[in-house]
Amino acid sequence: MSKRVHISPLANEGMYILDTASWRTERPVMNKEKCIECGLCLTYCPVNAIIFDENKYKITYNYCKGCGICAVECPKKAIDMVPEGGGK
Amino acid sequence: MNYIEKLRTSEDMVTPGMSACQGCCGELVLRRILQISGKNTIVCVPPGCMSGAGVVGWDYQTGMKIPVHIPLLTNTASFLSGVSQMYQRKGRGDVNMIAVAGDGATADGGFQSLSGAAERNEKMLYVCYDNEGYMNTGFQRSSTTTKGSRTSTTPIGEAINGKQQPSKYVALIMSMHALQYCATASPSHMQDMVAKVERGLAESKKGFAFIHVIAPCPTGWSFEPDMSIQIAKKAVASNMFPLWEKYNGNYYITVENKKPIPVKEFLQSMGKYKSLTDDDIAQIQKEADTKYETLKKLASE
Amino acid sequence: MKIKAMTGNTTAAIAASLCRPDLIAAYPITPQSSVAEYLSELVHSGELQTNYVTTESEHSVMSVIQGAACAGGRTFTATSGQGLALMYEPYFQMSTMRLPMVMAIVTREMISPCTVWSGQQDAMSVRDAGWLQVYVENNQEIMDMIIQGYMITEHEDVLIPINVCYDGFYLSHLVEGVDVPSQKEVDAFLPPVHFNHAILDPDNPMAVDSLTSGEVLTRYRKGHLEAMVKTLDVIEEVDKKFAKSFGRSYGGAIEEYKCDDADIVLVAIGGMTGTARDAVDMARDKGIKAGLIKLRFVRPFPTDRIANALKGKKAFAVVDRSVCFGWNAGPMYTEVRAALINGDDKYSHFSAIGGLGGADISIKHMTSVIEKLESVKSKPGQHDTLWLMKEF
Ligand SMILES: Cc1ncc(C[n+]2csc(CCOP(=O)(O)OP(=O)(O)O)c2C)c(N)n1
Ligand code: SF4
Ligand code: SF4
Ligand code: SF4
Ligand SMILES: [Mg+2]
Repeated sequence: MSKRVHISPLANEGMYILDTASWRTERPVMNKEKCIECGLCLTYCPVNAIIFDENKYKITYNYCKGCGICAVECPKKAIDMVPEGGGK
Repeated sequence: MNYIEKLRTSEDMVTPGMSACQGCCGELVLRRILQISGKNTIVCVPPGCMSGAGVVGWDYQTGMKIPVHIPLLTNTASFLSGVSQMYQRKGRGDVNMIAVAGDGATADGGFQSLSGAAERNEKMLYVCYDNEGYMNTGFQRSSTTTKGSRTSTTPIGEAINGKQQPSKYVALIMSMHALQYCATASPSHMQDMVAKVERGLAESKKGFAFIHVIAPCPTGWSFEPDMSIQIAKKAVASNMFPLWEKYNGNYYITVENKKPIPVKEFLQSMGKYKSLTDDDIAQIQKEADTKYETLKKLASE
Repeated sequence: MKIKAMTGNTTAAIAASLCRPDLIAAYPITPQSSVAEYLSELVHSGELQTNYVTTESEHSVMSVIQGAACAGGRTFTATSGQGLALMYEPYFQMSTMRLPMVMAIVTREMISPCTVWSGQQDAMSVRDAGWLQVYVENNQEIMDMIIQGYMITEHEDVLIPINVCYDGFYLSHLVEGVDVPSQKEVDAFLPPVHFNHAILDPDNPMAVDSLTSGEVLTRYRKGHLEAMVKTLDVIEEVDKKFAKSFGRSYGGAIEEYKCDDADIVLVAIGGMTGTARDAVDMARDKGIKAGLIKLRFVRPFPTDRIANALKGKKAFAVVDRSVCFGWNAGPMYTEVRAALINGDDKYSHFSAIGGLGGADISIKHMTSVIEKLESVKSKPGQHDTLWLMKEF
């Protein structure tokens, strides 16, 4: 990315990022004993907080907003929504 | 590669932290479209929840990894026509030209510009995420808002109860332009949606492609954020939002609905329809049935 | 070069085509329509290789152009009156994104009452939308300022779009002899377009027009205003360059005519200037020391040059072909007054308004302005607005 002369409104000096993780009141926790690695949760997560890493679906918590869609859509009910702050 | 593999291997083009509400289908749709289109893309996001949520950027910081512009509420398709024409002229017709616009920017203020661009068959993919109202300005009615909905300009009142007019079916209107590709999609039917975005992108190299996507909005529609996909599913299952596409002049129903659920099941799953009377529900049911019948006739031609 | 007889609208279309625009978008409106038509002919005959977009409205005209400019293109359009009004939303954004382009305004009165005829109310009403505006006197000047316009607007110190304003019907439909430069001459004068401060390109991704805080926005406005000031120099510079290549000079932001020893000065703008010139000549024949300032650039406003040109004069009147609601005067009158360095109290001065909605400004009208100037020249202060009307 090149530095620009800002003579009109434009943005290229890095990414504008919000701390959406701080919104969570509940966090999704995946139960790998129930999970069949189907990937549906990944396709429905609006935030892209679910990743596929080392052949496994995993939830990341840097931006997860705690909406609970993944928990509802998991065909195996392998994701639980757990209150934030009250343990992991 | 199946659609799940595609989605898990493709790069997210949008800022990881954007301020769309929990469970927002607009955010989901935006991310998926741009994951599929990839880096070689120019995107326009007019005023509305998606641009307001930070995907265009703030001061000197951008909200996307790809070039993005916030055009006017009223000119997205025209603006992108100009960009697209210049890229054709420069011999760079391979660059994806995408608009991701709300129903207000699409069916209301921006409709003239949209219709003009479709009539000229400008090379672009225009996606409307339809949350049935002007969410960014506080959930006012739009022309796609379903009859009976409570919005902030069609409140529930003693004298007048919610929106009085049925919604305008913008997808079918668009399909009557001599455009390259037209489809409806739902994030609940992700495989179908991914396929349509891919086809739309391919067709956008030849002309105008339009996709109308239902985007349930927990905040405006009044339901719990985890129910977004369930609600989108019910919209399809009840024929409130049938899934079809049109290309080469032919209509195809892409998700057949052999046994539709009553619209009541869809309507009663959220707060914005809370004060519908039985008469209202019957009328909405009739509209949904008629819509599906019309589409079936078009598809059987 | 060859002299051809042509209308102002044909002149504008040919001038634009000589500048090799990448994209033209246009929508017909009286009195601009034949610009859109003639450009179509050039494109359909194969003479002009440009992307010509015939949109469904002027709002989309300016929007398509903005998109093309955001991809680095050179663009052109022309409009009038209601078309300009409809365009206002993207029009303002064009200048504040600092995207260069030339747009002809074939000036027209604003509705209501219903009218399709001449007047400068349309262009004057948008003089604070961040564009450069030049008003021209004849068809030759249309040709020359469209060509100069590209050099000015694309100058790296400027990057502000420009309106070349010419009177609807009085110039747009008037046939005059125009010295038409050859393509080779224009190519030699005008370098290819190059600007990249706001470009949509996957090879260099940026967000164009991100949401912007007031502090940062203020910085952009400050830069825009400062660029306007610099533009005054660029205008003179380009005028000189143009004179060198084509042998015609317009004197920059204003032109002074017989001002040196004048007591009283007429300030005129656009097509009426020719009539004003004749009236000044006639007055001179009668021994009246009259002079004329032709106001060419309205944005940026040439305050210093106007103040200097009026220095030591006894009286001035500004003839406007539009009104300034709320001032009981014409808009250029209010601005000329504001430009006078040590205030205007030592001058006798008044506003004259005429030529609205296609009405004529005759030599009699101009003479009546000069006569009034003569009669008030030793009574400093503001005098009543003079309405140049027909006796009913
Ligand atoms: C000409 C104009 N009028 C009004 C507005 C204010 N406005 C901004 S966003 C918006 C609503 C957009 O609704 P929609 O396109 O459905 O997007 P959503 O917010 O629902 O995502 C309105 C009315 C505007 N930006 N421009
Ligand atoms: S949806 Fe459920 S079963 Fe499928 S990958 Fe996710 S957690 Fe595992
Ligand atoms: S809770 Fe919502 S945001 Fe978090 S991982 Fe699940 S779907 Fe994604
Ligand atoms: S109001 Fe609705 S559409 Fe807007 S961000 Fe929130 S959930 Fe999404
Ligand atoms: Mg909306």
